[in-house]
Amino acid sequence: MTIVVGYVPTPEGEAALTQAIAEARKSSSTLLVINSSRGDALVDNRYAQEQDIQSIEDRLATQGIDHVIKQPVRGHDAAAEVLDAAEEHNAELIVIGLRRRTPVGKLIMGSVSQRILLEADCPVLAVKAG
Amino acid sequence: MDVWSSLMDGFATALTPMNFLYAVIGVILGTAVGVLPGLGPAMTVALLLPVTYALEPTSAFIMFAGIYYGGMYGGSTTSILLNTPGESSSVVTAIEGNKMAKAGRAAQALATAAIGSFVAGTIGTTLLAVCAPIVVQFAVSLGSPSYFAIMLLALLAVTAVLGSSRLRGFAALALGLAIGLVGIDSVTGQRRLTFGQPLLADGLDIVVVAVAIFAVGEALWVAAHLRRTPLHVIPVGRPWMGKKDWQRSWKPWLRGTVFGFPFGALPAGGAEIPTFLSYVTEKRLSKHPEEFGKGAIEGVAGPEAANNAAAAGTLTPMLALGLPTNATAAVMLAAFTGYGIQPGPQLFSSEGPLVWALIASLFIGNLLLLLINLPLAPLWAKLLQLPRPYLYAGILFFATLGAYSVNLQAFDLVILLVLGALGFMMRRFGLPVLPLILGVILGPRLEGQLRKTLQLSAGDPAGLWSEPIAVGIYIIIGLILLWPLAYKLIRRNRPQNSSLLPANSGAADYSD
Amino acid sequence: MSSKTSGLKGRAELGVALLLGAAGVLVFLDANGLSTPYSHTDPVGPKTVPFIVAGLLVVCAVLLAVNVLRGGKGEAEGGEDVELGHPADWKTVLPLAGAFILNILLIDWAGWVISGTVLFWGSLLALGSRHYVRDGIISVLLSLLTFYGFYLGLGIALPAGLLEGIL
Repeated sequence: MTIVVGYVPTPEGEAALTQAIAEARKSSSTLLVINSSRGDALVDNRYAQEQDIQSIEDRLATQGIDHVIKQPVRGHDAAAEVLDAAEEHNAELIVIGLRRRTPVGKLIMGSVSQRILLEADCPVLAVKAG
Repeated sequence: MDVWSSLMDGFATALTPMNFLYAVIGVILGTAVGVLPGLGPAMTVALLLPVTYALEPTSAFIMFAGIYYGGMYGGSTTSILLNTPGESSSVVTAIEGNKMAKAGRAAQALATAAIGSFVAGTIGTTLLAVCAPIVVQFAVSLGSPSYFAIMLLALLAVTAVLGSSRLRGFAALALGLAIGLVGIDSVTGQRRLTFGQPLLADGLDIVVVAVAIFAVGEALWVAAHLRRTPLHVIPVGRPWMGKKDWQRSWKPWLRGTVFGFPFGALPAGGAEIPTFLSYVTEKRLSKHPEEFGKGAIEGVAGPEAANNAAAAGTLTPMLALGLPTNATAAVMLAAFTGYGIQPGPQLFSSEGPLVWALIASLFIGNLLLLLINLPLAPLWAKLLQLPRPYLYAGILFFATLGAYSVNLQAFDLVILLVLGALGFMMRRFGLPVLPLILGVILGPRLEGQLRKTLQLSAGDPAGLWSEPIAVGIYIIIGLILLWPLAYKLIRRNRPQNSSLLPANSGAADYSD
Repeated sequence: MSSKTSGLKGRAELGVALLLGAAGVLVFLDANGLSTPYSHTDPVGPKTVPFIVAGLLVVCAVLLAVNVLRGGKGEAEGGEDVELGHPADWKTVLPLAGAFILNILLIDWAGWVISGTVLFWGSLLALGSRHYVRDGIISVLLSLLTFYGFYLGLGIALPAGLLEGIL
């Protein structure tokens, strides 16, 4: 079985990853880490750089967790990428991090978490940063 | 010399509320386009040309001056925070600047770049105010033969010395000269290269050519090669420097200025060579040579100052002789022509108030850049997250709008597309665009001087070297045409040279 | 694979030489067709400079062709938003050019507000934006804003076209 975690290099993302690792250990599932970018701007700070990915890789390896890390840049938004991955791997669980958004911010930007919560076919575990 | 009183009059003009507002707009716009990927000051001035025809020339040039200096400033911000220098002149800044930023000293790197730019820009502008009238005094005594020689020198120098392939430079120059031929010959009234098309009889509008090459060509080129991996911008607070940073920065600023100004003022000096020289010098003189390659503040302070002093230097031949030596100056020169103002040595006497207001606004713009932009740095970094579709669609939209509004002819848009495609092709195959633009702008003037010269000598070619200055310049041209041989040897040795730069600086890709 | 693409690349650059040569011949023929009675006031005449330019173009064309055949290559221009690792993305460029051409065809007949909207919206689409509605609204607003801005601010009347009388 597979657990999908939506990762971003922020406290929320880290919290989600930590939780996902714990879940993966419990059920000895494969952990699929998704860190995507729309790739439509020169700069995207939510797209993890090589060092970040390397350190996650090391962390998962030392904990002995079967894992795949994917960084799709296909012009899709993060919610679509996570949902796609979950469907494709028949995931048992999706783990995401929540951050506080103002109502206005949500109105303009939409909410990735909300979309995942509403559209996922499997249970979704939403965690907040420490 | 009444430089002082002219300059004070210039300040009086530049500080009227309206003109001051344009200076502020120019500075902010310039910084924004300097930060934004794919946009540069030359393109921005080109895009704004049509819009500014409705303004007073003075106001327009005050705004252009702000864009020119602002663009330089914005460029250094991205090279420090992203390590993606947009122009060859900020490659060197990126080496140490980005290392500093990665070590958590982004604020200091930005501060030394900003304050250094201010210091160098102010000294450079002062030198401009002092030197330009002297150059003019010397230039007004020159006759057509010398003037022809000087223009030829400027064209050949830019073509032969800048860029990596001399041959491709000359190819671009030839294309530019051909484009400049289109239209009615001013002496005989004959139509050249119009192909019976009445719309071509007035020649190709320089605005349309500039917008096509700088905006449309560039937008299409970037669209074809969009960076696929998103980058990280290093988070930064308000730039500031400690006492130690000041101590380590002020000498590199001054030395950088000394390198930058003369190179900028030379017909083909450019900003790349002085920034590199400054970097090497600082590395040699530094008390902390071990920090070089790991984020030495001197390596940001010196080259940034050199870069900005060169920018001021570039304006000296532009204003005093009507000779542009970089893309932005070329487009600004096109703007003069657009306003019906004849560039050249007579500019200072015929358009004195405008020129001095422009110079005064350079001082003001410099100060504004420092005051407005130091606190805004984090905001500029945010600008990099603007989705690209809007950026490049916007460039095409405003390019079309601008080119169309000049004559309200759809035909101009066809020209815009054709020349835009030419600009794309040139970028693809490494033909530099600067010689082309210079050819378009200077070609007709060059022909005019040639015909005047030979008219005076009744067709005797010896008239071309009838003035001692002209002879001297032909000798310099000869040297320049031979110099690339030496230059090639230097370039061939570059691999050894570039060990001065850290191998993983990421600058290698840009060392054109 | 890589040798094949570099071979193609080399051949494509020969096209540049061809273009230069063609331009040179064109400039020469055009200048040659000019009639120039010799005059004392203009000993150089309108032909001389075109001949020189034509010569320069042809020489550059030949030298470039030789250079390319010998394996010389122009350095494609880099930039902060440019990644030269992959080949030109024609799927972006051609639709962009399409939007541009559509604007040229529409501008005099349909007016700037419509053609500008088509241009901006089409460009956004070509560049990969997928917010069709939001982009459409922005395109219309931008076109309207520039139309009135140019009219009121600069005194330039862009064509109203089909919307004549409404705007």
